[in-house]
Amino acid sequence: MFRELIGGLRITMRNMLSKPVTIQYPEEQRPVPPRARGRHILHRYDNGLEKCIGCELCAGACPVGCIYVLAAANDPAHPVSPGERYAARYEINLVRCIYCGYCAEACPTEAITLGPRLDLADYKRERLVATKEDLLESWPGFRPTAAAPGRPDPAPRSELAAPSPTAPVARSATDTA
Amino acid sequence: MTAEVQPGPQPVTLTVDGRAVAVEPGTLVWDACEKAGVFVPVYCAHRKMEPVAVCRMCLVEIGTMPKLQPACATVVQEGMEVRTQTDRVRRFREGNMEFLLVNHPLDCPVCDRGGECDLQDFAQRYGPPRSRVPITGKVHFDKARALSDKITLDQERCILCWRCVRYCDEITGDRSIVLQERAVHTVIDTFEGRPLTGEFQGNLPEVCPVGALTHTAYRFRARPWDLQRTVSICPGCSYGCTLGVDSRDDEVVRFVSQDNPEVDDSWLCDRGRYSFPELNRSDRIRAAELRLEGPLRQVPALEATAAAARALALVVEQSGPGAVAVLGTPAMTNEEAFALQWLARGVIGTPHLDHQLAEWPGLDPVEFRLAVADLERCDTVLVLGERPELATPVLSLRLYKAERKRGREVRRVAADPDPAELARTVRDRQLVGVVAHEGDRDAALRVAAALAPVNREVRRLTLTEGMNGRGCKDLGLLPDLGPGYVAAPAAGMGGRAILGAAAAGRLRALVVVGPNPELEADPAFEAACQRVALLVGVTTVPGVLSRHAHALIPGRTAVEKAGTVTSSEGRVQPVRVALQPRFGTPPPELRLLVEIGRELGGRWTGEPRATPTFAAIEAALPAYRGTRGGLRAAWPQWERPA
Repeated sequence: MFRELIGGLRITMRNMLSKPVTIQYPEEQRPVPPRARGRHILHRYDNGLEKCIGCELCAGACPVGCIYVLAAANDPAHPVSPGERYAARYEINLVRCIYCGYCAEACPTEAITLGPRLDLADYKRERLVATKEDLLESWPGFRPTAAAPGRPDPAPRSELAAPSPTAPVARSATDTA
Repeated sequence: MTAEVQPGPQPVTLTVDGRAVAVEPGTLVWDACEKAGVFVPVYCAHRKMEPVAVCRMCLVEIGTMPKLQPACATVVQEGMEVRTQTDRVRRFREGNMEFLLVNHPLDCPVCDRGGECDLQDFAQRYGPPRSRVPITGKVHFDKARALSDKITLDQERCILCWRCVRYCDEITGDRSIVLQERAVHTVIDTFEGRPLTGEFQGNLPEVCPVGALTHTAYRFRARPWDLQRTVSICPGCSYGCTLGVDSRDDEVVRFVSQDNPEVDDSWLCDRGRYSFPELNRSDRIRAAELRLEGPLRQVPALEATAAAARALALVVEQSGPGAVAVLGTPAMTNEEAFALQWLARGVIGTPHLDHQLAEWPGLDPVEFRLAVADLERCDTVLVLGERPELATPVLSLRLYKAERKRGREVRRVAADPDPAELARTVRDRQLVGVVAHEGDRDAALRVAAALAPVNREVRRLTLTEGMNGRGCKDLGLLPDLGPGYVAAPAAGMGGRAILGAAAAGRLRALVVVGPNPELEADPAFEAACQRVALLVGVTTVPGVLSRHAHALIPGRTAVEKAGTVTSSEGRVQPVRVALQPRFGTPPPELRLLVEIGRELGGRWTGEPRATPTFAAIEAALPAYRGTRGGLRAAWPQWERPA
């Protein structure tokens, strides 16, 4: 009988003296696997221009229809993104999203990726519809957690993604002659 | 033109991919393939234009011919064997797609055509998996160049199919778009770089198979998968063009044409096509306002109709029904016009009823005898003045087609020509068409009377103002005529006289259903509004009426309600709900008018909805029987000589 009692108490003692598993969420957060698909991030080029060109391919690829994009024409003097078009509104319903990552697959400029943040909670459902300001890289509270390996910017794939806001959009036909 | 099918001699039989098909002689192989159920990709070919065979996309193998032949420009022959699925054709299509994409910028993500582009679709279906031309080696041209305030041109995306060039040559005849330069530097541009003008520019992006020509008004507004399309009738004028209403987020973002060969022949005018921002007005009237029984307050629409009915009943009781006048608008549907007519004559009992300011005593359906499509059959078409083509611009394209393709004589004469002079030169014709605006009605009457004895038949087409000016007349929104041009029991005052009498204080109450731009623009209307003791207004657009109405009742725009409208030639066509009603959308005008009538003690059998109301119209007006799907009403009066 004593054997069993001591055996049981040993386990109790061992766990009493070991480091607890509990962490102080949300101040402390568990590391996230590097390829986890969490809350979306809209990226910028190094010069600050948005990568998103408002093409709506993410919205078209989205199987649940949680992305809303409203495009507009760039003002050549103050472009928001390189080229002719940018997203004037970009919204994702984070509660409807299934985090499949098709939007990132579809994006021709690698503007949207799924980030490491998995903690989606709020007191109001409406606040879980993320606006462009919420999703853009520079939003004030943006804090990549330890597990977010900062992805280097990929080389621009075509002139669509050319990160030069100064390049004239229209060329004259004679340039090509 | 793609072989017009005439009742001809022996049909020609041929096989397409082994399937036998019989077609009329003179048919193009492309059409024969379609008839056989075989799809042949094309860029340059267009049903409404002559073949040019420049895009080379439709090349097929025919019999033992040594080279591939363009299906869009080859005429069928007896016993032809057409093969579209052979390895040779497939290899050729691959090469052709690669060639078309050599200098294409591949900017589909920012292109407005992305998602509904033939270049994308055919590249997926017939193109090679990769190009041998590096993306950096492309020849570049002008991007996003404004050809006018309506059209934006991207020369890089152009595949040089010439459709726009041919459209300007064959359809509008203004030759404003031309090909410039040679070889790889070939571009389309306006003639001498002048800005595009003309009333039919909006069709250019529609004939363009790629994203080279785009609507400036639709630039970056939506993707095809965002849009919901509803087929309805253009609210721009009384020509009755069929159009697709594309909407996104409770807003109309564009009008697209739908081919109705009897009316629009697949073309729209810019005035109609770009009229949609008017339907998205943020200041449109949504709440009912009551200045009766106390200070101004906002109430639900049906409460306003009840208050309006009580006030009207009081006026009728004090001053008799003759103290009330009712004004409609040529923008209202047939069902609404029918209900308004019932409300005025049947319930209130007033003879003072009209839908516009000008008056047309003794109107007769014979003035609307000629069909639009029959303009192509007339030996001579006389167009009186400029007003017909100003009121209904698409008419110009039909006249040009009659002239250019059918070789008819189209004479544009003065608005009030000398009938005797015309009768000397226009004689011994089988069919003469007289086209006039309703404002030149008397001149048209004189011309037709002078020409009738010296020609076999003279038919008239009178073009009315407003979307449904014709339907309002048919349904008796006239001071002297009831539904079906039957004399009304008592002739009342017309539009102009009503405003005069109201301003002079001889009318106590005015019921106005809008929006009626003609009324809003007339100073006499404001004077009348200020003078009457009771003004009941139903409208969507803020203006004179909404400022003065004692009972202001919100209505619905042309894309928010169902019903039918009648075009100038008498075609009864359905208007459909493109923007679904949501919270805050007022009830349709038809229901509001019926509610007012019921409050006043009138009897309206059946639901106040479009379908049962049209059945009531059919019962009251035999000419409208069975016309709802887009048929012309045939009038018994037509049997009499003009």
